[in-house]
Amino acid sequence: MLPSVIVRAARDQRRSILVWTAALVALVAMYAAVYPSLKGNATYSKLIDEMPKAYRALFSVASGADFTTGAGYLNTELMSFMGPLLVLLYAVGAGSGAVAGEEDRHTMDMVLANPIGRGSLVVGRYMVLAGGVIALMAVLWAALLTAGAAAGMGLPVGRSAAAVGHLGALGMLFGALAMLTGAATGRLGLSRAVAAFGAVAAYLLNGFGQLVGWIRPLRPLSPFYLYNGHDPLRTGFWMPGILVSLALTALMVTAAVWAFRRRDVVA
Amino acid sequence: MTGPVILLDGLTKHYGPHRALEHVDLTVEQGEVFGYLGPNGAGKTTTIRLLVGLLRPTAGRAQILGLDAWSDSVRIHARTGYVPGDAAFNDRLTGREVVAFFAGLRGRPADVATAGVLAERLDLDLDRRIRALSRGNRQKLAIVQAFMSEPDLLVLDEPTSGLDPIVQVEFQALLRSTVERGGTVLLSSHVLDEVQRTADRVGMIRAGRLVAVEQLEELRAKALHRVVARLAGPADPGAAARIPGVRNLAFEDGVLRCAVPEASLDPLVKVLARGTVSDLSVTEPDLEEMFLTFYTEPASDAA
Repeated sequence: MLPSVIVRAARDQRRSILVWTAALVALVAMYAAVYPSLKGNATYSKLIDEMPKAYRALFSVASGADFTTGAGYLNTELMSFMGPLLVLLYAVGAGSGAVAGEEDRHTMDMVLANPIGRGSLVVGRYMVLAGGVIALMAVLWAALLTAGAAAGMGLPVGRSAAAVGHLGALGMLFGALAMLTGAATGRLGLSRAVAAFGAVAAYLLNGFGQLVGWIRPLRPLSPFYLYNGHDPLRTGFWMPGILVSLALTALMVTAAVWAFRRRDVVA
Repeated sequence: MTGPVILLDGLTKHYGPHRALEHVDLTVEQGEVFGYLGPNGAGKTTTIRLLVGLLRPTAGRAQILGLDAWSDSVRIHARTGYVPGDAAFNDRLTGREVVAFFAGLRGRPADVATAGVLAERLDLDLDRRIRALSRGNRQKLAIVQAFMSEPDLLVLDEPTSGLDPIVQVEFQALLRSTVERGGTVLLSSHVLDEVQRTADRVGMIRAGRLVAVEQLEELRAKALHRVVARLAGPADPGAAARIPGVRNLAFEDGVLRCAVPEASLDPLVKVLARGTVSDLSVTEPDLEEMFLTFYTEPASDAA
């Protein structure tokens, strides 16, 4: 029955959620600790401004770094690379583990021999993945507000929520991609690789889309554009971005159920 | 329940060009213990995985308890227990956690208590982590989780591999009590010894085809016994060769070797007894020899 799938998966995920939560908190604390000494330091902003535009585009500072506000600083340093990296590591790990990981350990047989539908298994495990992302985001939000207050960054509560909300949607999307690949193929390495490659491609598409003319029209296709293209930490929620992300995610979870119900469990 | 518990109808599974299973027809009735024999790689595990709904048939169908093994697998699983050939569990968990998880999936949390009793009988510690369990103990856990819900059908893929003889005896007792309460069992093996103590009927599979289905007693009668006789003094091996059913007769240095079915043992011994027999051994057939029997017989004898 579905509740058992959820309870078991949540227990199995507990350790990994704690690890990534601790990593996020440590990251926020580190950036917050450095902020006061960077805030008034024009040299650092200048240093970034002098970097090649291509490089800056990848860190969401194509139009110049703004370290005079906490939001500008965190958007560049935390939200454009390290934050997504940690969230994606968790989500892709959980997504690939949901189906392919179990098959890789040859334990799927035993689970499926119980009266549980393959669809329920996939959906139940995805619910836990999504819950894990939400938990990570709640902690990140709390860490941002706490560290922000301590370091005098002046982060607005609502816009911080928007930033973590967008980041959570990004994590859920790539978690769903990893799970879909695993559900369709049963191959753990492949499911991680497809999600990782997808994330890198999306990241580069969003970055270069700001620079290269012919890529520009494609930029809105990037989940990273949906996530950070409108800079939620400074401008708040951008609903089309969130909704398109969630719709793609729902589509991939549905596809994962469909694919897993059709194929042989070989291992 | 009126129809057969297991009904295979032209069941076929191909993996690309590889024909793992080819048009298998079989019925197993309620209360029966069916032994599914064959060498490794013959298609036993493929058949069982089709029964458990892990694989989708290429052609034909597998019905269990009147339901389709692929499309109705959830309803079937509520009434079946399964021991896979290579039992693996999440090795961070304890046996008890695994059992509780599966009992939860079945919506029968009280089965955990039954599992405790079974584990005691098999001398398995449910509180140890899977990681720390030997292969034999993992196999015991697989047996415990399959039997704990007292299912109508047990599908067991080489269930006693890795178990020591005392536990095997306990396992046989579990099988008997399953049948006594009206349960049905299909168990596979590549050693006859594993099934001959419990099975009523056996099927033999070879290269993806079910080559024979026999009552165990009939199979034994057909099986070739290996006879080695040391004959002192003058002997007439030609008389032995004329006995119907005698095969592979060889006579060298006063030692006669041959293979005979049970029915031919008596005439053979009588022929030998005309001379002086200084030594005689009759070996029970092993599975390979039985396969040879079926293999060398005309195709019309195959099921």
